[in-house]
Amino acid sequence: MDNNKFVMSDEEKYFFDLTGYLVVRGALTPEEVDVCNAAINHYAEKIRARSVDDGGLARGSSTLQGQTGRLELTGMLGWEKPYREPFRDLLVHPVVVSRLNGMCGEGFRLDHGPLMIGATAGTEGHQLHGAGEPFSAAVWYHQQNGAIYCRGVTVAWQLTDVNEGDGGFAVIPGSHKSCEPTPESVRSVEDDMGLAVQPAMKAGDVLFFAETATHGTLPWTGKGERRSILYKYASRGVARAVGRFFTPEARFGDWTKTLSPEQYAVLYGPGVHTGGDLPLLKSDGKKTWVA
Amino acid sequence: MDKRERYFWDLTGYLILRNVLTPDEIAAANEAIDRCTDQIYVGAPNEGSRDSQALRGTEARTLHGLLELEEPYCDPFRKMLVHPQIIMRLNVMCGTGFRFDHGPWVTDSVKGTEGLTLHGEGEPHRPYVAYHHQNNRMHCGGVTVTWQLTDINTGDGGFACVPGSHKSRFAMPHGVRTCDDDMGVVIQPELKAGDVIFFMDGAQTHGTLPWRAEHRRRSVLFKYADRTSVRTGAAREIAPPEIYWGEELVEGMTEAQRAVMHGPCSSLHSSKLAVDADGTVRVKND
Repeated sequence: MDNNKFVMSDEEKYFFDLTGYLVVRGALTPEEVDVCNAAINHYAEKIRARSVDDGGLARGSSTLQGQTGRLELTGMLGWEKPYREPFRDLLVHPVVVSRLNGMCGEGFRLDHGPLMIGATAGTEGHQLHGAGEPFSAAVWYHQQNGAIYCRGVTVAWQLTDVNEGDGGFAVIPGSHKSCEPTPESVRSVEDDMGLAVQPAMKAGDVLFFAETATHGTLPWTGKGERRSILYKYASRGVARAVGRFFTPEARFGDWTKTLSPEQYAVLYGPGVHTGGDLPLLKSDGKKTWVA
Repeated sequence: MDKRERYFWDLTGYLILRNVLTPDEIAAANEAIDRCTDQIYVGAPNEGSRDSQALRGTEARTLHGLLELEEPYCDPFRKMLVHPQIIMRLNVMCGTGFRFDHGPWVTDSVKGTEGLTLHGEGEPHRPYVAYHHQNNRMHCGGVTVTWQLTDINTGDGGFACVPGSHKSRFAMPHGVRTCDDDMGVVIQPELKAGDVIFFMDGAQTHGTLPWRAEHRRRSVLFKYADRTSVRTGAAREIAPPEIYWGEELVEGMTEAQRAVMHGPCSSLHSSKLAVDADGTVRVKND
């Protein structure tokens, strides 16, 4: 594929629609990769490792388990100058904007992130998640009359090489259109039925994947460090992160304090990353109550 | 929501419930509105009918802020917001965790009030209001619930829709949009005070016919959305990057960077980006 242009080619549309992911090669120059890595090195002390207690992100999978937890770093867009600049550039990089206009539609937005995911030899994987079934409005993939409408796309910039067999990002191609439940052994990758793919990528490549596609992470076995920067985009009228205006007071004002619990519940802001704090309404047709 | 209602909703894109409000509840809502008639917003001439001949009339009249009225006048509308008959159906139509997006407002039409051109359709697809059905579960991004506070008889005007249009995959003909040549596909349901109509907002083609009856039309509209879809109202006010994310985070960003930092809001049209052949990213001015 001739895919390092500032337009999304027909071949790229075909591949993304078919598989649910897309890799654009060589989007960053080696110098640009170096600048990003240097900025991360500057903030290295803020990198945190997740705990592997209670099954970790592997969720108890014998295939995905590791000795250490995933490395994480956030806050890049708000770092002091000049360290934030390369990450602000990635936010609206022409390779990204041109593809997201085709994947999410014009007016797409950053929903949350960026997040650096790091790994060293022995870092655990992440149970596969996402799928076409059950239907999830938050990340719905739809194609109609030649246009793609994907409500959630993650863009993952590679700052180090990911060779075949190293681990890292894995995906079940085509799963964004699946209408049958994902077998548990595929999620755990303990018996993936030969479906999981781990794309090889070079530093400077950029990966797009539909959040609907079943995806996750294989344990890292590479010689070097894994560094991938994830930006989570959404189409214009969609929210996954709840943001700062989630509560009814924050969103509509103090007058909401005089509402009943049921009335209050229906005024929460949009988003699915609620941390389990969202009151849900039930009704039997005669009475409404908060579950 | 029983099988018959599910069938009708999936097939047509709208649903009517009869006699949901008692006469006393209707009277209380009308009394609250009567107290606020001096706050009714009168639209611009032809704001709703645009280039339609069939929909022309006098300016539309709406009243907003119903949930914030002083007690007890806000109570009828706050009850409507989470009425059991509404909640049990929205849990099926939008899925659990649905939310109130914007509204409510009263459409207070007098004889001769103009209509509103038909809008919403299955093509082009709009993710934030689209309808989807999969494995016996339905999902609609945006549902409007309209409470009738006066009768609407056949030929009176008011709410009109094109049944089945939420599944259309072809562009709506201009004559249907304006109702100047509606091809016989537009219907105007008969409703009584106390009835409720649900319709797929934005997925289904709907609008308003000019009001022809001697009595007022009074319909109260509540706009609901699924858990992740976002349309307008408060969303529009908090969408600017410095509000949504905070001044500190977006300080010093370029215009293009700020464009993708807007909060979710489907009615925002100033945040689109284009890429020139040389890779320059710029904000697109529609």
